[in-house]
Amino acid sequence: MSALHLHDIPAKPSRRSAFIDLVSRRPEIITLAILLAICVAVSIINPAFLQPSSLVDIGRASVVMGLFALGVFIILAAGGIDVSFTAIAAFTMYSMTLLVKDHVPDMPIALVLLLAMAGGALLGVVNGLLVHHLRVPSLIVTIGTQYLFRGILLAFIGTVWIMSLPPQMGAFGRMPLFQFESGDGRTITLPFYFLVLPAAALLTWWILNRTLMGRAIFALGGNASVAERLGYSLKTIHIFLFAYAGALAGLAGIIHTAANRQANPFDLVGSEINVIAAVVLGGARITGGTGSVIGTLLGVLLIVVVNSVLVMVGIPSTWQRVVVGTFILLAAGFFVFCQKKNG
Amino acid sequence: MSHASHTPLPTGAQARPFLELRNIHKRFGGVHALRGVSFSIAAGEAYHLLGENGCGKSTVIKIMSGAHAPDEGEIVLEGRSFRALNPIQSLAAGIETVYQDLSLLPNLTVAENVALNEQLVASGGRLARLFDRARLKRTAEAALDVVGLPTAPAYLSTIVSDLPLAQRQLVAIARAIATRAKMVIMDEPTTSLTRREVDNLIAVVERLRSEGVAVLFVTHKLDECYRIGGHAIVFRDGQCVAQGPLADYSKHRLTELMTGRTIDSKRYRTGAPRAEELFAADGLSLPPSFANVSFSVRHGEILGITGLADSGRNELATAIAGVTPASVGRIRIDGKVERIGHPAHAIRLGIGYVPEDRLGEGLFLDKSIFENEIALVVSDLANAVGIVDKTKGRALAGKIAQDMHLNTRDIDLPVGALSGGNQQRVLIGRWLSINPRLLLLHGPTVGVDVGSKDTIYRLVQQLAEAGMGLVIISDDLPELLQNCDRILVMNAGSIVAEFDARATDEEQLYQAMLTSRSDLATEAAR
Repeated sequence: MSALHLHDIPAKPSRRSAFIDLVSRRPEIITLAILLAICVAVSIINPAFLQPSSLVDIGRASVVMGLFALGVFIILAAGGIDVSFTAIAAFTMYSMTLLVKDHVPDMPIALVLLLAMAGGALLGVVNGLLVHHLRVPSLIVTIGTQYLFRGILLAFIGTVWIMSLPPQMGAFGRMPLFQFESGDGRTITLPFYFLVLPAAALLTWWILNRTLMGRAIFALGGNASVAERLGYSLKTIHIFLFAYAGALAGLAGIIHTAANRQANPFDLVGSEINVIAAVVLGGARITGGTGSVIGTLLGVLLIVVVNSVLVMVGIPSTWQRVVVGTFILLAAGFFVFCQKKNG
Repeated sequence: MSHASHTPLPTGAQARPFLELRNIHKRFGGVHALRGVSFSIAAGEAYHLLGENGCGKSTVIKIMSGAHAPDEGEIVLEGRSFRALNPIQSLAAGIETVYQDLSLLPNLTVAENVALNEQLVASGGRLARLFDRARLKRTAEAALDVVGLPTAPAYLSTIVSDLPLAQRQLVAIARAIATRAKMVIMDEPTTSLTRREVDNLIAVVERLRSEGVAVLFVTHKLDECYRIGGHAIVFRDGQCVAQGPLADYSKHRLTELMTGRTIDSKRYRTGAPRAEELFAADGLSLPPSFANVSFSVRHGEILGITGLADSGRNELATAIAGVTPASVGRIRIDGKVERIGHPAHAIRLGIGYVPEDRLGEGLFLDKSIFENEIALVVSDLANAVGIVDKTKGRALAGKIAQDMHLNTRDIDLPVGALSGGNQQRVLIGRWLSINPRLLLLHGPTVGVDVGSKDTIYRLVQQLAEAGMGLVIISDDLPELLQNCDRILVMNAGSIVAEFDARATDEEQLYQAMLTSRSDLATEAAR
């Protein structure tokens, strides 16, 4: 049907092995492999690991980091980086807790969550506008806003630990999704808020893969000036990105508070690198334009598992950092190796 | 779809033009880039926008594609008058641009690169829309088919950075026509293509024209203009100095119009090589790119190497430069066997390599001419504690700038501010700072205007006169015929022919480049 016959172009550029091809397209396979290897090794050394109670612990511990990671991933996909999300989370969770405790004690929990997300999104918009209009790399902008948001929180809103949460927030933290008795008679609870993570992951996946905005985010991560030339509105994308990440951070902040049953304004900030490490371990390149939601979740699981199982096999928790650092270097080295094979 | 390669095309003379620019002015700070440019584009016609670097061609493209707003003048698009266009307006009107850098998104798939923009334009640039994957596939398949690329699902989902350059070019064109373009602007589309790929491009253009699409080429290659045919629009110093059917202008006349002076296409090479051998390659191999390649270069000789893009000529050049060393074979310099396993070895042995991609591999665009020129000798200029002798460096850079006839005396100017021809001269100049014995020039005049070409060719001849050996790797055949003593033709990883440049012509070279691999195999079997 074509009038032209170009010299037999193969439908697929070959020159490399199927395995390398697969890994360079889906780097999260490596993440999954490492994760499985650790789980197998740990359960051989200490079969207690496979008990439902430790799995529930891992699931519970993944929620806050997972929400943060989804926000970091979507910004990384667009070629940016965000280190202010922890400050946004601390800001919204502490302000919301104060607001509910002192002024609107009977605000329903759904509204608390919504307001926290809106507040996070608003702070995110500040990030987005600054990144767009200052034309400064987002790393610098968000280092600045991290200090700014945290400074405002501590200077103007409060520095006092709130040890007794408003009842609806405490109840939200305890509301069970399911409960059972473990072998030693303890009650194991998978909290209801765990559902927020898969829901947020699904939404993020849907936005990235099924909307023009999602494709525009990857286009921006591929090459910003080309995307602009093709007619993508960089301002819209920047504002959306940071607002979305901010909303996730606000949500994560409330869940963090509800799960820990206290609101500490000094909390959270400082854990950014851990989250960014999880996203990069999940196969997203720090230079942008790549990665997947499933990879991000696997990266989070990997870090959470490493953090929680080292103790179970008798490795001191101070070794966590050594192990995580080694994994990051190994994974990064492997991804680069695959790219070279590719070229 | 019609097979319309040679059907008569609509003349468009009586019809209303698709696009008309009237008295367009554009200033950038103190620079008056366009001074009252007017021309019109009719549906189904081919146009060639000609002119030296810096004459305002890129500015006028950006005005048509909506990237720049003119300071004065009027843009008439299908009868409607505009002061300026924005990118989405321009795209929605059917004006598509294939930029020289292709403007592809390297991390997205072929299908997305081809067809995503069609959905963006349909939504008027709004992003809160569902992404229609079925429509993406349909649009991509139709557009890929027109440019002759595969439409298999595996190809559609290939990541663009995995494609060879020539296919990326076609993907960029496919994107241009996926949005039902009425006019396609191609900014130097053939610089990275070999002749065979150019033939394919020309067929694509014929097909677009037969469907009523206007095509505007921006190019330096006059020979290709005549092969494509159509109208010439000639720019000089921000003004349109001539427009009309190409057939009314001789190549000589066009060159005159573009440069404002007379440049003849005579053979530059007048000298002769010396007797002693300078460089010899013996049985170089680097699977799968090339195998068992042997040749020699004498002092003061200019050797040309050509071949299709996949013939192995590029890899051979980078192997000699030590960038991607050959795995087998020997290299002798002045009779001594040497090993080149790294670019630093090549530099120490006095082998200079001016790469094809001067932006990607060579120049630091945001650094000054001075800093670019001394990049290779910076350690020689440094004293014991590593402090660079700036006075000596500046003297050296100033001398090089003068020798290279740069159009500026200000060696603190960033290289990015120079035209393509001047950038190329800076790059060649940098290599001269190490006093090379052998200089490899890879596509030395790609994207360079006629005036700069002349300067570069004269320089090449001077260097040969001074006893330097030169190897020009190029697919610009007239360039090789004008400058070289001998021309080697590579095909499928081997040298298949050697010609005396005085006694051959483009046709012979082209034949040797094109002889298929299977023919070669049969010949070898005989």
